[in-house]
Parts: sequence; structure tokens; C-alpha cells
Amino acid sequence: MIELQGITKVYRTGSQSLEALRGVSLNIGKGEFVSIMGPSGSGKSTLMNIIGCLDTPTAGEYVLDSSKVAGLTFDQLAAVRNRKIGFVFQNFNLLPYATAWENIELPMLFDGKNGRRRRERVTELLNAVGLLDWRDHRPTELSGGQQQRIALARALANDPPILLADEPTGNLDSKSGEEIMAILTELWREGRTIVMVTHNDHIAAHSERTIRLFDGQILP
Amino acid sequence: MNLTLPRFFWSEYRKRRKRAALITFALFWGTLSILLLMAFGQGMTTQFKVAFSGLGRTLIMVYGGQTSLPFEGLPKGRPISLYPEDVDDLKDRIPEILRIAPESYSFLQVSANGKEINRTVHGTTAEFGLMRTQVPQMGGRFLNAADGAEGRKVAFIGWKVAADLFGNENPVGKAVVINRIPFTVIGVLQKKIQDSMYNGPDAEQVYLPFHAYRQIDNRRRINQIHIQPREASQSKLIEARVRTLLGRKYRFDPDDRYATSFWNTIEDAKEGQAIFKGIEIFLGIIGALTLLIGAVGVTNLMYAVAKERTKEIGVKLAIGARRRVIVGQFFLETVFVFAKGTFWGFITAFNVVHLIRLAPINYESFGIEAYLLRPEFSLRIFVAYTVVLGVLCFLSGIFPALRASRANPIESLRYE
Ligand SMILES: Nc1ncnc2c1ncn2[C@@H]1O[C@H](COP(=O)(O)OP(=O)(O)O)[C@@H](O)[C@H]1O
Ligand SMILES: [Mg+2]
Repeated sequence: MIELQGITKVYRTGSQSLEALRGVSLNIGKGEFVSIMGPSGSGKSTLMNIIGCLDTPTAGEYVLDSSKVAGLTFDQLAAVRNRKIGFVFQNFNLLPYATAWENIELPMLFDGKNGRRRRERVTELLNAVGLLDWRDHRPTELSGGQQQRIALARALANDPPILLADEPTGNLDSKSGEEIMAILTELWREGRTIVMVTHNDHIAAHSERTIRLFDGQILP
Repeated sequence: MNLTLPRFFWSEYRKRRKRAALITFALFWGTLSILLLMAFGQGMTTQFKVAFSGLGRTLIMVYGGQTSLPFEGLPKGRPISLYPEDVDDLKDRIPEILRIAPESYSFLQVSANGKEINRTVHGTTAEFGLMRTQVPQMGGRFLNAADGAEGRKVAFIGWKVAADLFGNENPVGKAVVINRIPFTVIGVLQKKIQDSMYNGPDAEQVYLPFHAYRQIDNRRRINQIHIQPREASQSKLIEARVRTLLGRKYRFDPDDRYATSFWNTIEDAKEGQAIFKGIEIFLGIIGALTLLIGAVGVTNLMYAVAKERTKEIGVKLAIGARRRVIVGQFFLETVFVFAKGTFWGFITAFNVVHLIRLAPINYESFGIEAYLLRPEFSLRIFVAYTVVLGVLCFLSGIFPALRASRANPIESLRYE
């Protein structure tokens, strides 16, 4: 499902250049639950952003669902992010002026789903994350755990087969973290492909396979 | 068509409208100030022009005089007078003359309604009215050719004379008595500003047809002749030809500057034209600079507010917004905010200008209000302003979105 071959990413800042990924090759099959671990600065987020089509590699090939990502146009990539991949960020990245409901609804709006379908799906998702009563609240009125659950609901709005989570529990207390992990595990059981970055061995234990990154390379 | 996206744009706009209000207000204020500035400047220039041409647009006045040079054995110091026949002679011989009129006047008692006042009474012809911007008020007229030809006893009076004799009544059709002869009032001069004159402002004068005037003042000679050239550029030529013709007739040296004298408003006007051009250029520069300052302010604000939303754009891209959703939203918002701000600025400026124009002007004194209270609203300036500012606003409002939608979403997401 996700095939990376020799992925390299070089960041250039002024005259400095930094190789954040150095030839990463990786295959993740459909329905797998993979966790990525590694010290801070080892390139985990860089790798996740590339997998999530938020960023492009400097070199190497990325094949997603048997099509080369490099060959896709801006709007085709948008469609991939919209339907195929749900992305959960460490810092939630919710729209601050929009309510919980509106944040979850947005990916469906971009997909052109009609009002009735959107209403049904948002209600279903809010129920699933246990926040139906908070539907009209803005992110600032919610706790970190609640915000992350809204972000997770938003990532699932268009029912994507792949869910990417970059340290989803990094900013949460352990109880909220466990709640998020319970939902992720449940989603995996339903057949979704899940890739998750974490620092925490305990959290990583929920996954089937752990990949260790160090200094931009995968440790064998 | 799926209408939900526009509805979503609208709801997002409403959520952010406090932020947008700042831009709307800046646009409103900029539009209002520039339109008012230009309206007052334009109005002032127009009033200057009206005042300047109060005497008549392009006019040469010829007076008699006294010779200062001996000529063909005649001594100097002989008086030279003008006579009614000179008018016809000059008109016949000088084709460059468009209009010509004699004028005689004397200070006489004018009475009506049991009131008596002393005013300068003039005898002249219909052409005088055309040359001297004698615009009648509604319901009246200036002297016409038939008044002269049929020897009608009619009078055209200044609006001050009308007020002094008749108060608020309409004098048209009523009689004024001069030297025991009644003259029917046929028209009253419309109010105007006049900054050049002789014998006091036109508002204080009484005009009679030339032949009727002769019945109350039987001097043969006339005070002056008014000439309007076909082309303003011919005024100097006409002056020379008048001198030559009259010199031949009354036997004086055509180069004698004192045998006859001229008041050539065309030469004055040339100076005036330069001043008006100067004022207009000055106004244009002020307008352009104000526009520049306004544009810098508004576009800066617009850009900053749009730039602030980079992170928001990043989030939307990350969850699958296509380029046209992002750019379309900024496009619509920019156009809407721009239209709203300039619309209210336009409406306010338009109404302020027209309200101010309702204020009365006291034409008796050369009050500053005559220059300040007649601003002129110019649609042309509004259109030019809208185009220039509109393009700049549009670019600054949409640029951050355009740039964000050409890069990887992560670039926008990283923006704080
Ligand atoms: N936009 C960027 N510009 C320059 N360097 C960056 C940028 N993003 C990340 N890096 C660098 O790349 C390396 C990998 O970063 P990242 O992928 O965020 O690591 P991790 O998520 O494992 O902590 C780090 O050294 C980081 O400083
Ligand atoms: Mg990271």
C-alpha cells in the first residue's frame, strides 16, 4: 500500500543544508499497524509528512496504492489527502474559529458530499469519540484530549483507508493518550492501515511492527 | 451546482468579519477622503474659473482717449470719442470680430414700488449679453435684437437691484421708472461670482436697449465698445486693426497708445489659464499622492490579514482543499470587502458633497464659502481610483493564498 524507495530529504536553510532522511526504504501493507520510533530530530515527522503527501522528497520514489506520487498534480494530491489519508498532528491543527462540528465537516465539504450525508457522518463521528455534546464548542474551549479526538474524527471524515498520526499523544496526559490509543486500535481492527509516530514504548506496544529511525536512516 | 462551498465561504467570512471590518473601514475612509479631497479641489477650481470669467470670457473693450502724438499736422492732446456708427464700421471692416456691442452708461435714479435708488444705467444691445455672461434667472431674458429694432422700453436688471426695489417679488413684467420713463423688466441677472468689473458688480446694474437708453441720455458719444473675437488668438490683431481704422477715421497715429485704450481680458485670461492649469496639476499630484498613501496602507493591511491566514490555508490543504477552493475563497472575500468599503465610501462622499452644495452662498461678499461650498463630485475620479486601488487590493489580498497554494502544504502548516 505504501512503498518508499531510497527516500532522501534535504532541508536547505541559507547556505546550510541538512539531510533529514538518507535513503529510507519501507513497505507498509494494507491493514498494518506500524509505529515509528526514534530520538528527536531523527526525521520521523519528515517521513510522515512525505507519506501524508504534505511534503515532497528530494530524491527517491514513493508509490502509494500503486501510483507514483511524484506524478500527481497539486489537486490530485489534494484528493489523496482528502480521501485516502487521514492525518493526525501532534498539535491538532484545528481551525480555531470553527466549531468542533465544522472542523469535522470540512473534509467532506471539500469532497463535495451533500448536506445530509455530512450531517449523518459528523454525528456518527462525534458519537464515536464521545463528544456529541461539545459539537458547538471551539477548539479553545476544549481540553487537549478533546481537541485530539476532534482532530481524529476530522481525519476519519471521508473514511480514509490510511491513518497517519504524528505523535498523537505527545501533547496529552496519559489518560487522554490511552483514550486516543483505544480508538486507533479499534480503527485498525476495522481494517485501516495505521502509521503512528511515538516516543513511548508503551504506546508503541499497541502496534504490530515498530520501525526505528536514527539520524535519517532506518535501523535494521 | 453545489452551493455549499459558497455558503461555507460566507460563514467563514462572517466569523472573521471583525478582522475584515478593519480593512473595510480603511477602504471606506480612504475612498471617502480621496473623493472629498478631489471634489473640493475640483469645485474650488471651477469657482475660480467662474469668478474669473464673471466679466465675460474673451472680451476686448475699447475706450476713447486723448492723443499723445501729433499727427498729420494736428497737435497732440485732442480728445478722441467713440460714436455708435463706429460699431457698424468696425464690424464691417474687421472679419475677425464675432460680436460687437456699444455701451453707454450714467448714474441715474431708478424707482419702482415707491422706492428710489441710484444705480448705473446702461444702454447696449443683445450681443452684449452673450459676451458678458449675462445669464437671466428662470422666467426672464436678456435684451434681444427686437428690443433694439422696435425701440422697446424694457430693462434687464441685476439681482441686487431687483431685491432692493421689489424685495422677494418677481420683478419680471413690472415697471421701473428712469427719468420719468417707465421700462418693463424683462429679466433679472442670475447670481454669479465676479472678480473683475467696472462700475461695480453686474448685480447692481440696469441694462436698457441702446435706442431706448438714448431717450434718457442724449449724449451722442458712447462710453465704450465691446468686442468678442472669433478666435482668442486674434485679439492682438483685432486691437491693431481697430486702432488703424479709428485712427484713419478720427485722424490719429495708430501707434498712439493714448488716443484710444483697450482692456483685453483675453490677455488676462492667458495668465488665468496658466494658474488654473497649475492648480489642476497640483490637485492631480495631491490626489495621486493621497492615493499612493492610501493604497500602501490598505494593501499592507490586506496583505497582513491574508498572510496571517497562512496556517489556516495549510490546515485546509492538509485535509484536502483543492487550489481553487483556497484561491476562490480569498478572491471572493477580497472582492467583497473591497466592494463593501468603497461602496460606503462612495455613498458617503456623494451625499456629503451634495449636502454641502445645498448650503447657500452669499454672492454679495467675496466670501470664502463660495469656493468651499461648491465641491464637485466626479465619477471619473471615482472610477480611476477604484481601478487603481482595486487592482492593488486584489493582488495583496489574494497573493498569500496564491503563493500558499503553489507550495507543499507543510510550508503553510509550519507558519506561525
Ligand atoms: N523545515 C525545516 N527546515 C530545516 N530543517 C528542518 C526542517 N524540518 C525539520 N528539520 C530538521 O530535520 C531534522 C529532522 O526533523 P524532524 O523530521 O522534525 O524530526 P523528528 O520528527 O524525528 O523530531 C531535524 O534536524 C530538524 O531540525
Ligand atoms: Mg516530530
